[in-house]
Amino acid sequence: MDQITTSLAPPTRTSQKPAATGSTSDVASSVTKRLSSELMTLMMSSSPGISAFPRSDANLFDWVGTIEGPAGTIYGGLKWKIAIHFPANYPYAPPVIKFDTPCYHPNVDINSGAICLDILQDKWSAVYSVQTILLSLQSLLGEPNNASPLNPDAANIWSKPDDFKTQLMKHYRPIAE
Amino acid sequence: MSAPPLYQQVAVQWSNAFLHLNRDEPGISGLISFAEAWRLIKDFLRPRDLSSPKRESDFNMATIRAAAEIITQCEMLLVLQDDFMDAVRIHLHLITQDIVQLMQQYEASSDAQHVAKLVARLSEWYNAWIPLEDLGESMLNAYNLAFQTHVYSVLPSSFTRGFRALVTLTFNLAQESTGAEWLFTIFPKPNNPSVRIDKPLWDAFHLLGLSERYDSLISSVCYEYVEAYIVKTCAGKWDEPKLNTIRDWMVNRIVPWMLLPFAREAKTAEDAKSMLQGVGSRLDFHVCKTLADLRTNEIFDIIVDYPDSTNALKDLKECLARVDQRSHLVQTLRKANKRRLLHPGADTKDILAQYVSIIRCLRMVDPPGVLLFKVADPIRQYLRSRPDTIRCIVASLVGDGESGDSLVDENEPIQPLQQLQAEDYSDPDWEPEPIDAGPDFRTSKPSDVISTLVSIYDSKELFVKELQVLLAQRLLTISDGNYDRERRNIEILKIRFGEAALQVCEVMLRDMTDSRRTDQHVQAQKSTVLHPTIISKHFWPALQSTVFKMPGQFKQLQEIYAKEYTTFKPDKRLLWLPHLGTVKLDVELDDRTVSADVTPLEAAFVELFSSKDTWTVTELLAEVGNVDRTAALKAISTWLNLGVLKEVAMDQYKLLNVAEADVYGSGSRLPAPAPAEDELPPVVTMQQQQAEQMQVFWKFIEGMLTNLGQLSLDRIQGMLKFAPGYDRNVDQLAVFMEAARREGLVTVRDGLWRLNK
Repeated sequence: MDQITTSLAPPTRTSQKPAATGSTSDVASSVTKRLSSELMTLMMSSSPGISAFPRSDANLFDWVGTIEGPAGTIYGGLKWKIAIHFPANYPYAPPVIKFDTPCYHPNVDINSGAICLDILQDKWSAVYSVQTILLSLQSLLGEPNNASPLNPDAANIWSKPDDFKTQLMKHYRPIAE
Repeated sequence: MSAPPLYQQVAVQWSNAFLHLNRDEPGISGLISFAEAWRLIKDFLRPRDLSSPKRESDFNMATIRAAAEIITQCEMLLVLQDDFMDAVRIHLHLITQDIVQLMQQYEASSDAQHVAKLVARLSEWYNAWIPLEDLGESMLNAYNLAFQTHVYSVLPSSFTRGFRALVTLTFNLAQESTGAEWLFTIFPKPNNPSVRIDKPLWDAFHLLGLSERYDSLISSVCYEYVEAYIVKTCAGKWDEPKLNTIRDWMVNRIVPWMLLPFAREAKTAEDAKSMLQGVGSRLDFHVCKTLADLRTNEIFDIIVDYPDSTNALKDLKECLARVDQRSHLVQTLRKANKRRLLHPGADTKDILAQYVSIIRCLRMVDPPGVLLFKVADPIRQYLRSRPDTIRCIVASLVGDGESGDSLVDENEPIQPLQQLQAEDYSDPDWEPEPIDAGPDFRTSKPSDVISTLVSIYDSKELFVKELQVLLAQRLLTISDGNYDRERRNIEILKIRFGEAALQVCEVMLRDMTDSRRTDQHVQAQKSTVLHPTIISKHFWPALQSTVFKMPGQFKQLQEIYAKEYTTFKPDKRLLWLPHLGTVKLDVELDDRTVSADVTPLEAAFVELFSSKDTWTVTELLAEVGNVDRTAALKAISTWLNLGVLKEVAMDQYKLLNVAEADVYGSGSRLPAPAPAEDELPPVVTMQQQQAEQMQVFWKFIEGMLTNLGQLSLDRIQGMLKFAPGYDRNVDQLAVFMEAARREGLVTVRDGLWRLNK
């Protein structure tokens, strides 16, 4: 069901927003241009452990990302797939990001994959990019914000790494090739 | 009893026979005269041995004829013929002896003389035994048959060889009457000077049926003679038309010769003409074939010699119209090209030149261009694989040939590039494709050479890009501000490639002139020794990005200039590319002043020495930025040679404020450094650009395979549209992926590609 909601929800948004911002084609083309250049930057940056790419060549608004757990943290050596969806008024609104691979983490909803990260909500700014979001997510893995947990259980046992690791591995599913 | 008794039948037969032989003569006088005639004829016809002493000829021809008359009247000719033939057969062994003996001599010596003797001897035998004409044709035929059958059955196979030699001899006899004088002792020259001297020989051949039996052999001797003549007179001579000369020669020398072997029975010239027609046209075909073969084998060199070999090509064209050797020509030329042209040892320039010659030559031989299409294909493919082909073509486009001979004919009018056009069937002059055109043959209307060259590549964009690179190189080397030549070139190229394609070049050229104007303006505000060329970054091909900074005074100069420039053009900013400049420098030292034209790096180094006397290479490099160490050493060596610096320790240099006495003597200075190879293109070549581009595309492929798992080639191709400037087709992508697989970056299974982990 998660899958369906994520793919169905955004189009309703896109249909609402452009009316408020003005000429549809202008906006679409400028967003496309922005996304293309972000993709180019991301491809050329070669930051280790983070990567993303459009899901298909027909739609530049729907991306798949890959995040590797930062080395030296409890998440080290593991990989997660995330789904990134850009709204039609991007970058004035943040992209919607969810974990496709279940991620046992204080700030991630284990069922829906929803993420609680300030820059993806109220702290969003147009100067952020896919790359900065991915980097933030990567660092979030190692340094959770236990003050506003989406997964209270995880937040509770964060201080006990052995228990946490057990829970993490219980939920983790390796990415199928 | 129905049948008469036997004796009665015998009696009837007897009386009939008697009446028949006796004719209506009284008594038995008829019978007696017949018996007399029979004896006489038989004696006359008896085959005699030529070697036995000749009997006095006691035959009275009149009585012989009378006797023949009687035999004919008695209808006994057939009986006589059988009788005669039996006698001939019995005596044939005499001939066999002669044949065996003479042929043995020939085989031992290989001298055609013996064959001639044999022919003469055989005619003697033949004439000696020939039956009387009055005895009728049937007897003559039977005799001929028996005689010839026997002779042919006895003649050894070596006779053909001898006969061939004998016939070959007649060519020279018929023409210059030199050669074997012995022939005339065997076959005396005819008394009548208007008769050909070899006529007796040919008569003997005819008599013995040899010319008929060895008809094809005589023809082949003739062919060989003609072939030898053609090869002798035409091989390697391409500057004059040969076909007509040969045809004249045929008419003057070969046709008269042919009269005897092939038109013997001709009574009039008309007769002879019609008799020679068949053999003559076959011979003409043979001439064309021989010449075509010869020229085909020489074709590569003929093309090399073009345009001096134009006449040879015209001959070839005429010959090819008569004999179908086109595929042979194509094969030969392709083979020659492969062996002599399309190998790593040949210069691209030379290959192009030869290709252009091939185009011109084959157009002449075959205007529709089928031959050219077939021959050109491998050349074009090979040229496509050469990295510097485009550069060579472009260089020749702008007439940059160092040797001076441009591929383009100066007289050829400049015209726009021609695109391949679909066939226009409404054209009243439309012609179907030639019959030997392949399925992928494209009707190329005779277009100009440059169009053909440009069409080696699929798009002319490649050329335009390379043109820009070339133009950039040339513009940057011009120091006297004279851009007329470049302007002219660009105007020419505009005609070929169209205005739009050359817009960028226009901008580049305008940059140069604008720079001068800007410079004049800045100089007017604040006079300075710095004269930069200001180029628009977006319109120029990628220049090798500079990495070093100019120190000291130079830096100040640059800053001052930049400030003035910004005042002049507030919306623009200068980005210095110091390595492209030159510096005219006076180095003032304590005891002397050294003047030199140096590269900016050299100038930068000497500038640094003005602040401190001793530097190590590493220190110098740290000051100017990231410069290649070899380049730095080269720059230092310039000053070493000028005696400004001195190496005091390993990698450590000291400024010589006072000139040092040259300890080694002035002659031992290092030779002036050879001009460095890397001086030429400061512009990134197309090839490097492509490699860089491929790097970008690879990042994209890596990105998509990381996130999307395994993908098919088509999906990768589709996804790559996100990569800016991606213009490869799926085949090129396949090649690229295959290369990545070999490097172990990706794996493929069932057509799906994935990253190798």
